[in-house]
Amino acid sequence: MGNELSSRYDCVVIGGGIAGMETALLLGDMGFECLLVEKEASIGGKMILLSKVFPTLDCASCIATPKMAAVQNHPRVTLLTYATVESIAPREDGRLEVEITRRPTFVDPSRCTGCGQCEKVCTVARPDQFNQGLVARRAIYIPFPQAVPKKAVIERRGLSPCSAACPAGLKPHGYVALIRKGRLERALHSILREAPLPGVLGRVCYAPCETRCTRGKKGQSIPLRALKRFVAENLPREERFLPEKKIPKKVAVVGSGPSGLSCAYFLARKGLEVVIFERDEAPGGLLRYGIPTWRLPREILDQDLEDIKALGVKIVTGKEIRSLRSLREEGFEAVYLATGSLKPRTLGIPGEDLPGVYAALSFLRSYNTGKPPELSGKKVAVIGGGNVALDCARTALRCGAGEVTVIYRRDREHMPAHSFEVEEALAEGVKFLFRRAPLEFRGRERLEEILLAEVRLGEKDETGRARPVVDPSRTETFRADAVILAIGFQPEAIFRDEGFSYHPDGRLKVDPETLATNVEGVFAGGDCVTGPYMVANAVGAGKRAAYHIYRYLTGEEPRDIDLAPEVGRGDKAARVRLKAPVAYSSVFGENPVPEQAIEAAGRCLDCAVCSSCKECVETCPAGAIDLNMKPQKIRLKAGAVLIATGFRLFDPSSRPLTGYAHYPNVITAMQMERLLAPTRPYNAVLRPGDGKVPGNIGIVLCAGSRDQAAGNPWCSRICCMYSLKQAQLILGAIPIAEVTIYYIDLRAFGKGYEEFLQQAAGMGVHLVKGRVARIDELENGDLVVYYEDMEGRGGVRKARHELVILAVGALANPELRKCVREDLQLDEAGFFREIEPVREPCVTSVPGLFVAGAASGPKDIPDCVLHAGAAAAQIAAYLRSLGSEGA
Amino acid sequence: MSVKILVFSTQNISDPGVDLAGSSHLPYSPGVVVIPVPCSSGIDPRWIIYALEKGFDGVFIAADGTDCPYLEDCTTRTGQVVARAQEMAREKGLDPRRIRMAAICSVCAEAFVNHMRNFEKALQELEHGK
Repeated sequence: MGNELSSRYDCVVIGGGIAGMETALLLGDMGFECLLVEKEASIGGKMILLSKVFPTLDCASCIATPKMAAVQNHPRVTLLTYATVESIAPREDGRLEVEITRRPTFVDPSRCTGCGQCEKVCTVARPDQFNQGLVARRAIYIPFPQAVPKKAVIERRGLSPCSAACPAGLKPHGYVALIRKGRLERALHSILREAPLPGVLGRVCYAPCETRCTRGKKGQSIPLRALKRFVAENLPREERFLPEKKIPKKVAVVGSGPSGLSCAYFLARKGLEVVIFERDEAPGGLLRYGIPTWRLPREILDQDLEDIKALGVKIVTGKEIRSLRSLREEGFEAVYLATGSLKPRTLGIPGEDLPGVYAALSFLRSYNTGKPPELSGKKVAVIGGGNVALDCARTALRCGAGEVTVIYRRDREHMPAHSFEVEEALAEGVKFLFRRAPLEFRGRERLEEILLAEVRLGEKDETGRARPVVDPSRTETFRADAVILAIGFQPEAIFRDEGFSYHPDGRLKVDPETLATNVEGVFAGGDCVTGPYMVANAVGAGKRAAYHIYRYLTGEEPRDIDLAPEVGRGDKAARVRLKAPVAYSSVFGENPVPEQAIEAAGRCLDCAVCSSCKECVETCPAGAIDLNMKPQKIRLKAGAVLIATGFRLFDPSSRPLTGYAHYPNVITAMQMERLLAPTRPYNAVLRPGDGKVPGNIGIVLCAGSRDQAAGNPWCSRICCMYSLKQAQLILGAIPIAEVTIYYIDLRAFGKGYEEFLQQAAGMGVHLVKGRVARIDELENGDLVVYYEDMEGRGGVRKARHELVILAVGALANPELRKCVREDLQLDEAGFFREIEPVREPCVTSVPGLFVAGAASGPKDIPDCVLHAGAAAAQIAAYLRSLGSEGA
Repeated sequence: MSVKILVFSTQNISDPGVDLAGSSHLPYSPGVVVIPVPCSSGIDPRWIIYALEKGFDGVFIAADGTDCPYLEDCTTRTGQVVARAQEMAREKGLDPRRIRMAAICSVCAEAFVNHMRNFEKALQELEHGK
């Protein structure tokens, strides 16, 4: 087996079932180079999942496994699993051009040893498709013990909406999945791996993850922020991401707000020497001086700061950096500017300098440092409509203000503040006055009243909001003892002489991808680049800067700093459609207990399947997991292409009268195969509804075949025989069982088949000629089968069974039809047509394209193998005609 | 105390069978240690003797039988490996009954467990017979 793909093959075989494997092996033996493409993670097709083959009752796995191994080991057969054929187009030279997408498995197959340790730690359970949904597998899984190749794959559909929404790069789906499993310490670990400041974010983040949560689309979203807060505040911070090695390079971070702290955190984890310079007396920037203490208790901030200091980050407070030259002289090779955006905007109206007029940040700062202005019983106005305005209003209430009014120039729906913040402010008693703008602050010694003008909303501006137009002719006075101006901030002009480029409003210009400024070795991020924005965004900017500073200093990509989703790696947000809202009221309050957190997390829908918790990444002893893997397009030339895509089983959930969609004890024949197979999930024949050993079993033939109403009037050829086989195997597994087969007519047409039927009848299998119309469930899970008695006295009769098996028909597999641009003929049932099945078996209407096995119509296994042999002979002859000789 | 058995399994055929025994939660002695090899006919008899000398009570070769994807005469060849190992054991004064071989297919989980139980019993009897 060659691991490297070639650009041309004699034959591309599509489908790794028994027919595809057989043809590939035969062609390989003849000396032709073959590529076998399989869409699942393992070859083996349906046969490897079966119990026994009829009529010999040989073990299906024992026949299939050596073939699978032979395919893997054949020197002229290359195996490409987890790949789909996108198109097959004829070329002028008579060959075919095949386009294949190799889907990312997120596991490096050259490293994976198939040990299965990843499966043990995976946090997401999915129905196991190889066990027909009877049991669960994990999001990371090895298909089955006999899988070839025996390598793990991760089912991952982009990123979950919550994880894609987080500006800080947290993976809410990941920590929720860990909490759901009760692994709270690991949840905290997962949060700390992706971002610092979990305590801060748990309190102050605006939680865009919750806005995007699929549960929230119809009902209550998962309380993602509250869950983060729960683990951040209730678990010890013992685990640190200490660097493996020290890198002797120094980085200066100017500013200790969320962005600077985040950058320092990630760089220190990578082993760099980081010093944060803070001009205030204590670190934290806006977190300490801007966010009110009632919203973010300082012990929580201090605990988060400890995480960062523990990594060796040095925080120098009370030191303002005025020139970059001094930093360079001290040996810093890179600088991250995270100086924030703290300069208040002013209104430029009379009276702004009156006592009693406060700027928002200085007001909050005085409150946060324990020296709030005397407001008790006073009437306070707050000008502005953002989150800071609301923080000021609510803080003023906490300072004892008698009445607090937020004055905003537009309407409530235009407020930049989050609507839940407005709700909370209203609940606390904050009043709102909309469409008013101050013209003048009046008072003799100090502020006494505000002259307000009415505001009319004009045309929409560039932000899409209505432009406010002040009408100075319509004014009123508003009595106020104090007014707080929360009308925005802008970055201070820093390092004006260092040659930086600025936007007109004072923000630093940076490369949006790397956050590098135009000055060599200097990066900048957070509010000083974006203007005032959210904490989570600042944390994200610090993380991004750390990534690029590390790369700048070492020339290496820091792969463990995960910038997704922002870097545009093609990870799309996964979508799950909820049919109906689910009534649910959360019990997850202010002081939850772990059980409540686990319950709240249990509602997660696993939108992207893989939760990105990265437990497998940390567990895999071979370091094989790579969540950045991308789909790979492969284009190659082939002399011939064989379609061996097999068939699809009829899905009886579309037939409500069969009860399959509702009654757990109505199963399909393929599920019964799994229950009987040596690799069976329960290691016994049990009915799924209650785990009882069924004593009386009914098998309903022609479920979804020979049925005009089901859209498939054709016979599936295999159901009679596999049902007789199952009946015999059931009697072998449960000797006291009664088995009844309901049939229209029993088609035992091949060599040894009639004897097989007689053998089943001789074992005591009841054969009832009757068409089943409906199946009902009784209270104890038993089933009543209504059938037309065709041979006895006639009429509709009833029979009771403990388990009913639907012998589902074989339908055409439509997957490949769209891949062939040339006119590829199908038969009336949708199978690939052999244009001359008698004279030229396996030859389709497109030159070079062949079909084998059940892709051309339902066939049993011996017929598939025969057909595959014919296909190999046809293809060999065709390849010779093209000039390919083989060996 | 449970006996120590070293099992040589084959990557493609018998190892999935042994793996299935584990994933089906079939109980067998914790003293069984499995080393997968590409093909049982490639086992060197000296490895078997080395294992016995290093303290294993028995060595079991879970061969492919006729399922071997490489060689049609794999069973004969593996049989020769075992015969040679038993001969070497005799020369070193070790009981050749400590070396066994059986075909284990990819789904022979129960067969494997039965082999292990029987071999364990036989090895215990050998110990007591001393």
